[in-house]
Amino acid sequence: MSPSPSTNATVESLLELSGVAKRFGGVVALNGVSFDLRPGEVHALVGENGAGKSTLIKILCGIIQRDAGTITLGGASYDPHTPGDAKMAGIQVVHQEFNLLPYLSVAENICFEDLPRRRFGIVDRPALYQRARKALDAIGLEDVDVRRPVASLGVAHRQLVEIARALMGESRILILDEPTATLTARETKRLFAIIAALKAKGVAIAFVSHHLNEVFAICDRVTVLRNGRSVMTSDISATTPDQLVSNMVGRQLAAAMAATREVDKSGRTALSLRNLRHPSSTNESGVSFDLHYGEMLGIAGLVGSGRTELLRSIFAADLPISGSLDRDGKKVSYQSPKDAIRDGIGFVTEDRKEEGLILEMPIAANVTLANLKAVSRHGLLRKRDETKLTQQLGNDIKLKYGHPQDNASTLSGGNQQKVVLAKWLANNPRILLLDEPTRGVDVGAKAEIYALLRVLADKGLALLVVSSELPELITLCDRMLVMSNHRITGELQRQDFSEERILNFAYKDERSHEYQ
Amino acid sequence: MSTNDVSQTGQTRIATTTKTVLREAGIGIALIVLIVVFSTTTQHFLTASNVTNILTQVTINLILSIGMTFVILIGGIDLSVGSVLAFCAVVAGTVMTLPGLDPITAVILATLSAVAGGILFGLLNGFISACWAIPSFIVTLGTLNIARGAALQVTNASTIYSFPAAFNAFGSQTLYGIPLLFLIALVLVVAGWFVLTKTVFGRVLYGIGNNEEAARLAGHNVFFYKIAAFTICGAAVGIGAIVYMARLNIASPIIGIGFELNAIAAVIIGGTSLSGGRGSIVGTLLGACIIGVLANGLILLGLSDFMRQMITGFVIIIAVILDKYRERLTKA
Repeated sequence: MSPSPSTNATVESLLELSGVAKRFGGVVALNGVSFDLRPGEVHALVGENGAGKSTLIKILCGIIQRDAGTITLGGASYDPHTPGDAKMAGIQVVHQEFNLLPYLSVAENICFEDLPRRRFGIVDRPALYQRARKALDAIGLEDVDVRRPVASLGVAHRQLVEIARALMGESRILILDEPTATLTARETKRLFAIIAALKAKGVAIAFVSHHLNEVFAICDRVTVLRNGRSVMTSDISATTPDQLVSNMVGRQLAAAMAATREVDKSGRTALSLRNLRHPSSTNESGVSFDLHYGEMLGIAGLVGSGRTELLRSIFAADLPISGSLDRDGKKVSYQSPKDAIRDGIGFVTEDRKEEGLILEMPIAANVTLANLKAVSRHGLLRKRDETKLTQQLGNDIKLKYGHPQDNASTLSGGNQQKVVLAKWLANNPRILLLDEPTRGVDVGAKAEIYALLRVLADKGLALLVVSSELPELITLCDRMLVMSNHRITGELQRQDFSEERILNFAYKDERSHEYQ
Repeated sequence: MSTNDVSQTGQTRIATTTKTVLREAGIGIALIVLIVVFSTTTQHFLTASNVTNILTQVTINLILSIGMTFVILIGGIDLSVGSVLAFCAVVAGTVMTLPGLDPITAVILATLSAVAGGILFGLLNGFISACWAIPSFIVTLGTLNIARGAALQVTNASTIYSFPAAFNAFGSQTLYGIPLLFLIALVLVVAGWFVLTKTVFGRVLYGIGNNEEAARLAGHNVFFYKIAAFTICGAAVGIGAIVYMARLNIASPIIGIGFELNAIAAVIIGGTSLSGGRGSIVGTLLGACIIGVLANGLILLGLSDFMRQMITGFVIIIAVILDKYRERLTKA
């Protein structure tokens, strides 16, 4: 895309990136990112999960180092090696994951980088509380006691404390990574007011968000990242949400999204949940629905609405505390994932690195992990069978790999996810539970995974798909359930799918709980 | 991007294979270097009698290290092996010296009871740490004391000796200069290698050590495997106890102090990662040999026991630092 005909092109850039690249093993995270940040502007960074936003932020704040490209800050080369370097240079970051110390007080957290002290290094408590009070008041958190431990605060308040901490220092550049993800509407409004005030002071703000309405509400310019590259930079006034989305997903995926599928409506019921309740669920009546063979059923909802927990309780990764589960019309009570697997269920987990893959073991070992019986006899492994099975499945799912004995960590994100799928396919499942099946996957692989899932559904498998990307669910699913606060707040048939309807259901309970 | 991917993984494959070979080869080279250094700097190092001597010294640590490898592979640690060895030895010693048993029955029963004692403590270690999710460091710190106390209690702190003559003789037999006891250890090495590389059981152990949650969600009973790893370690300790008795012809409640540390050192020098999931029995064999050769060679060089201890300490630290570099290489 061509750079925008900017209205304030005369303003000198504070931070300038050009051709920044970073790779982790075989995975290319960034592959040529260029953009600039001007004093007093709010610059949105948008892109799908895995587009490289987080990696970019980590490079800017010195957590990791770039492999190639140049970054200049105020005209001088900027090359932070530690987060301390970044702070010294006046760059503050509010991370998506919390970096708070849960058992210390709010005040200690806010002032942690520079605790006020008296002689002999003793912490000056009155000064500490005073400073923290001021910082919280500045962002309108008058009602929070600074002596409370952070662990006792709700998620939204923690996020605000984090922001207050970042605002403590006199920063020239503030990077906000998904700051509104856990905020309610009222707190979001408050945050936007703070951002406006900072902007007026001449601070350059990089704003990472999935919510395009926020981007259009408060940002001056926007840069779109796709697949590790910056594909477009534009003034907000010169672009539209549609243009941003099509740049985010790219042509390849747009085609995959357009593909449709004949749905076999006659599918028998594969799984039937009745009041199934996960231990962490606040909803006493649990969750009830039916899943049919040949169907792709989507579950939408905000993060924390209990979608992952629902899948985990079906799979007995966590044992449900009440309710029942019927499999092919027969009541079942799985005591461990082993039981669920034996009953033809597979579970592609949300977190590939923590739960899905064994990164430092060979691809072949990962593929056969859930069905070692198929490649062994009397407890002895038959490596030739294992290699054969891996190659065969690898072929079926278009896995790009070097050798079955290479470690899974050598693969790109998309191919790693395919290995997770292969692991379950090796078991010939009848039901597949998929939690964020394309998280951190590049666009090409995403399209291939969509095609693969469609083939599986056509073959008669029952697929239950959880995803935070609405376009993904809208593209893939035949039917959709929307969850909020561990309950199902809505059900939509394919012809009724729209982002607006889904979000309305997703926020249903949020709204009533917002001001508690 | 896709062509890029393929060539990239192609390169890493070659690199990965080389690196896996290098891992064990590196330890082997270190051992050879040590042997070369000691045989050129001392007169007696490479004599037949000294080699026999080294192998004898390596034997018990090697047996304990094999068991320890299983535990460390699943991300655990067993601090109790030295004490459990003493416990197994005094139980076996008591059984062996029971009046009215013919020598062969006595030795067989003693061996079985030593192994049973080891298995008992292994089960206890594994069960407690798996059931309540307590770090095995703490659990085995507890059983370390329990086993030592039990050994002292059973014997009233006295030493047991006067075992059957044939048993004592067996302990000093050699075959072409190789001690029979070392051959027992070698058999265990082969068995351990086989289990870890050729069986489903071994594969799952590696899986659990690397990523416990992924293994659990793939349908494996993590609880069972953890207990099994500690039990195997316990059984190895039982065998180690019998071998100890055969070699020194005594069973005493105060033997085996600090043995756990030597076993852990051998496993670590052998390239097994303390965080689990990575390592091999062959590495452990080489690690145990390095410790044995180092101890023997430094004595021949005329260094004091204190110096020897210091140098062994440095070697352990250097081995772990080198391992960090190897890790970084495989990840880059």
